[in-house]
Amino acid sequence: MSEPVGRVLGTEDATPLTFWVAVRPGTYLQLDDVVATTRHVPGHDPVTIAGVVTQVRARHEGAQFDSDVFLISDGTLPAQVQEAAEITTTRVDPEVYVPPLPGTVVRRAVDDERATALHFDRMERTLPVGLGRDGQPVFLNADFLDGTRGAHVSISGISGVATKTSFATWLLYSAFHSGAFGAEAVNTKALIFNVKGEDLLLLDHANNRLNEDTREAYTKLGLPARPFSSVAVFAPPRPGDPDGTADVACRSYGVNSFYWTIAEFCSEKLLPFLFADADDDRQQYTMVVHQVAARLAREAEPKEDGAALIDGELVRSFEELVDLITDRLTNEETRGQWAGSAVGLGTVNAFIRRLVAAKRDLSRLIRGDLPARRAHAISTEGGAQLTVVDLHNLPDRAQRFVVGVTLRAEFERKERSGTARPLLFVVLDELNKYAPREGTSPIKDVLLDIAERGRSLGVILIGAQQTASEVERRIVANSAIRVVGRLDAAEAARPEYGYLPPAQRQRAVLAKPGTMFVAQPDIPVPLVVEFPFPAWATRPSERGEPSTPPPRTSVSGADPFAVIGAASATASDDEFPF
Amino acid sequence: MKVHVESWDPTYGSAFEPGEPSPGPSQATTSRVEIGVELPPDAWRPLLPPEQVRPPATVLLIDGVRRIDGRIWVEDSDGTHPGVAASYAAGVVRCDLQAGVAEVIVTRVERGLFTSSTRVGDLVAATGAVYRPHRVSRPEPMDLQQAVQRRMRELEMTVAAEARSRDSGGDDLLVVDGPLHGRTHLDRTVGYIKTHRTEYLPPALAAVVTSLPAGHRSPVFLLGTSWDRYAWYLRLPGAPGSPWAGVVRVECTADVSRSVAIQLADISTVTLPRFASAAYKDPRAPQNLVPISGLERRLRSLLGDARLLNRALRAAVAG
Repeated sequence: MSEPVGRVLGTEDATPLTFWVAVRPGTYLQLDDVVATTRHVPGHDPVTIAGVVTQVRARHEGAQFDSDVFLISDGTLPAQVQEAAEITTTRVDPEVYVPPLPGTVVRRAVDDERATALHFDRMERTLPVGLGRDGQPVFLNADFLDGTRGAHVSISGISGVATKTSFATWLLYSAFHSGAFGAEAVNTKALIFNVKGEDLLLLDHANNRLNEDTREAYTKLGLPARPFSSVAVFAPPRPGDPDGTADVACRSYGVNSFYWTIAEFCSEKLLPFLFADADDDRQQYTMVVHQVAARLAREAEPKEDGAALIDGELVRSFEELVDLITDRLTNEETRGQWAGSAVGLGTVNAFIRRLVAAKRDLSRLIRGDLPARRAHAISTEGGAQLTVVDLHNLPDRAQRFVVGVTLRAEFERKERSGTARPLLFVVLDELNKYAPREGTSPIKDVLLDIAERGRSLGVILIGAQQTASEVERRIVANSAIRVVGRLDAAEAARPEYGYLPPAQRQRAVLAKPGTMFVAQPDIPVPLVVEFPFPAWATRPSERGEPSTPPPRTSVSGADPFAVIGAASATASDDEFPF
Repeated sequence: MKVHVESWDPTYGSAFEPGEPSPGPSQATTSRVEIGVELPPDAWRPLLPPEQVRPPATVLLIDGVRRIDGRIWVEDSDGTHPGVAASYAAGVVRCDLQAGVAEVIVTRVERGLFTSSTRVGDLVAATGAVYRPHRVSRPEPMDLQQAVQRRMRELEMTVAAEARSRDSGGDDLLVVDGPLHGRTHLDRTVGYIKTHRTEYLPPALAAVVTSLPAGHRSPVFLLGTSWDRYAWYLRLPGAPGSPWAGVVRVECTADVSRSVAIQLADISTVTLPRFASAAYKDPRAPQNLVPISGLERRLRSLLGDARLLNRALRAAVAG
């Protein structure tokens, strides 16, 4: 039998859902401790009421005034210090909702009883998600991560201290290595967008700050303390570099530069992704966007090096493309064909203004000056388990474009494959930027599609944001697992965090890095976990040994085996292969 | 034999209870007073203890509380006997002045059935509280009241002895709340009287008492009523008010020598003022000492809920 820590007290109401426990002298209860108590109810098996500590308090009994504390510590007023803990019930077994009786002994729940209290016993497949305050592992029900019963993760917290991305990568690591997904784990892919510094470009390098304590934490959680084994990094080309080498400082190999050819841009109708609010019905110019996109798709003829012949002109760069569109729209004669007939001049000008503004931001991503066969598309289909797309060097508009186009491509690919397995995890920070609560945009549509249909298609969104209150409600609502790190005090008071009990909301304001509140559908109270320090480098200064030795040649993305005359989206028949 | 419990709340019957007396003395004395124990009467003046007098390491304070839980009638072959069912408790606070720890070290709670009936047995209330019979010779309300008081005083002595047996350090002072009557056998013990019903001193010397500055005491004098004891007045720090505000009478047994009594008087003068309560916290400030009021609160909570016990008593006799 586990150690008794106190008794249910009778000076506060005891209810089946919350009750208070007076802590015995010489023992203690801290927040998040798991306790259990038993009540005998006629006609039923003994009812075990288990819960977690959500508040603890200590007070002087026998003191009436605040200043009595000085008398008590002077040794003149006798008083007794009494600690009490508020328990929020997590499980009543069997389900007879009776309050625990005042005076009943409360014991610390350990081992099996702890697992039962936290519903771990009912989870078929578990994913270690961190250590509780009691130093014991806390698990996530994998059924709610992989789409079996639910999917998607929403992580909120102040940037910098909430360690949102670290937690997201930790979750991936746990998913890949815990064995919860069995043999499937090997084929499971993840797509990560790196938005801050070069933080996530070294996921396949050991963390040189890993110490024994951290390794022990990993061992406790049943995971090896290793970096990710297979990582592919995509980075935008360096601006102004005619060779299009990847704009990355911290690693010299395993990096592919990504871009879209002019021909792809036209044929795949990527134009709407340039405009954040392109689908907003209140905006007149969105009509022009779709007209022009359709016109480009119809007109463009792929040429050498990804260039395209449009309306009789060879377009080799994004600037040229913008100039061409601007020219056709300002020209009285061609405007009707390009913008549609019933469009006012003001609307066309609104479109041109926005298009021209995008020119500088996207010129290095949409181009027709590099060999067409060169691999340049972001795809998770390659051999790497983890695909990191580096966005941190890109301006806002370009980031949106890359995220939108990449997600759409991946989603469509999964849609075409027709099977949910293997899973694809998508880690996206700053979700409030891509899927804001107000307005619509092509990228928000893609994200909504993932949130609502991704579960059946095997696309799992791990979204992170500073403020869940600013993210599209349907995306947050569709997340089965909600995670909160340090929150801003005003943000913590919003109804989006209603699943946190009041005491946890207060605590979220001062949560330290590495501490997360994890809410999952199985457990009525969010559990507080500390996830271990990453075993992979999260910044260049932490870089240790790579998990796989660097290849002999530093050029990795190019496709040396492309067969002459092989069907390529950009290579036209008359192109000379060499 | 049958026991009835009055359906009226027991506090309604307490009109005869002596009210809390005013702090100043209202009667002249009829007792024997020997003024010149420490100083001749013409040399009386406020005294400050010598510098080297230090408070003891620990101070033990004893107090008791009592409460009438129900007024009862016992019907037996002799007729009907009025009585009371009372709960009373006594306890000891041990103030370790060096460590700065005050704790209630001993508490005792008893319940009794005070009647003149000789045949009544234990009365077990529905909550499990047992009222043991105590015979009272005359069933007058005042006598019943005093019988309860007497039992409580006895209980106080029991806990005092118990506390002393635990704490054999020697460097302590035992303060008994109320007169020392019948409790003079304990060493290093003083009685602490908060209210003054009788003017023991001649007016000229009473003026010395009323002019005492805070922390000063009057010279020791011998007071003889039905029993003899040494006594002295002492003024506690507090807001200035009436002439007798903050003045308490402290007494010790007359069985000790004069020098021991004077020594006790000095020790009590350096010890007690620190326990004086503040007016905004205690209606009987500063005389009602802080540890005593803390102890009383604790003891009252140990007595249990009055209404619950009254209900339990009625349920017990009805059943």
